[in-house]
Amino acid sequence: MEEMMCYIPENLEEALAIMDERDAMPLAGGSDLMVSGANGTGVNPTFSRPVVIISNLPELKGIKVREDGWTEIGALSTSREIAECELVHPLVRKAASQMGAVALRNSATIGGNIANASPKGDTPQPLILLDAEVVLKSVRGERRMKVDDFIIAAKKTKIERGEIISSVLIPPSTLTHCYFRKIGMRRANAISKLTISIGAEVRDGKVVDFRASSGAAGPKVIRSHEAEAILIGKTLSELPLYKEEFLDAWNNAISPRAMPEYRRGATRRMLSFFIDEISSGREEGIIE
Amino acid sequence: MFSEVKFTLNGKKIIYQGDPLRRLLDVIREDLGFTGTKEGCSEGECGACSVIKDGRLVTSCIIPIGACNGSDILTIEGIRDTEKGECIISSFAEGGAVQCGFCIPGMVLAAYYLLENNPNPTEEEIRMGISGNICRCTGYDLIVDSIALAAKKGEELWKK
Repeated sequence: MEEMMCYIPENLEEALAIMDERDAMPLAGGSDLMVSGANGTGVNPTFSRPVVIISNLPELKGIKVREDGWTEIGALSTSREIAECELVHPLVRKAASQMGAVALRNSATIGGNIANASPKGDTPQPLILLDAEVVLKSVRGERRMKVDDFIIAAKKTKIERGEIISSVLIPPSTLTHCYFRKIGMRRANAISKLTISIGAEVRDGKVVDFRASSGAAGPKVIRSHEAEAILIGKTLSELPLYKEEFLDAWNNAISPRAMPEYRRGATRRMLSFFIDEISSGREEGIIE
Repeated sequence: MFSEVKFTLNGKKIIYQGDPLRRLLDVIREDLGFTGTKEGCSEGECGACSVIKDGRLVTSCIIPIGACNGSDILTIEGIRDTEKGECIISSFAEGGAVQCGFCIPGMVLAAYYLLENNPNPTEEEIRMGISGNICRCTGYDLIVDSIALAAKKGEELWKK
């Protein structure tokens, strides 16, 4: 008899046992996998490895704030659920609300978006800015790591045999000013040409924290702690003096392959705009 | 590969037996014969295969039937004779929203989902609501106008 190539487990324990035993891959929303495995009209999709359909596992659903203040987003949370949830950081909500179009946002999950590890992925970019972590579960137990460490390069992650992303954890944010921009060919159904998140924490006229993350500008989402350090600790009045040095350092950190002049220029302009806005004493919140 | 998936389609109980990776779209069209749902891009981007699954608009070409256990699924055949369905369809006819018609079942489902969640949408919200449904004939304006007409004509209907 032909060996089973697809399983529909009823709970996480059962799913993890099959994942490990069969070296299977999980299918959640299907928006990436059902396209990559497609065989055309009326012919069922096929995959190189057994598939575990995890779409209905209750253990991987729901969004809540934990006692330690971190926001826990179940891996099966869809982009719509995240975009609508007030418990989630506004940068992540913004990114989720601009993914694909209405129907896609009702299917695509945050776990899948991270596991797919595209440098153009919508949600990993703000998650990396916020130092968010993934929780990985398997029959061997559980481990946690930063999304930035989990994604190694385009389509490459540190996921090991039998592991499922069970949730995403976002630490409490102290950022006072944020900016998010996705540039695509059109507003809906666009794969990002370039994305950026920028955040700053300004206290008593001083930049206590400064972060940025660039999507679609290299083999993975890019952060540069070296560049960020140039602005951290400076007063708002000092920012203009260090702006060019920071912009040059960021420009060296990104490595866009296609249309590099455009991507470098647009990234520079967005960062420059944000720095100008906060140094002019802009009020707290999302800068549009 | 053999699995059993139980779901309802347009209110009727269905027991599917077979490969759980089969696309919901193929089950609806090929196995159950509801051909109102169309296949366009096959990548979840054009909206022709839109259906409503558990109250949410989804594209049935990227959903494996194995993810539909216990689901409640509505296609154009399931809403066309309802009051709300008739309201949208008559507004589309009145407003001249249809040319070749291929995208229309998906458009009607997208309009239905929009009005169910937002009975009184602005033009911008209507355009957002159908932003995942591609039409190559009309240029969208008459579809947008027709959805606005459906919101107006069905006023009380959508608030239920």
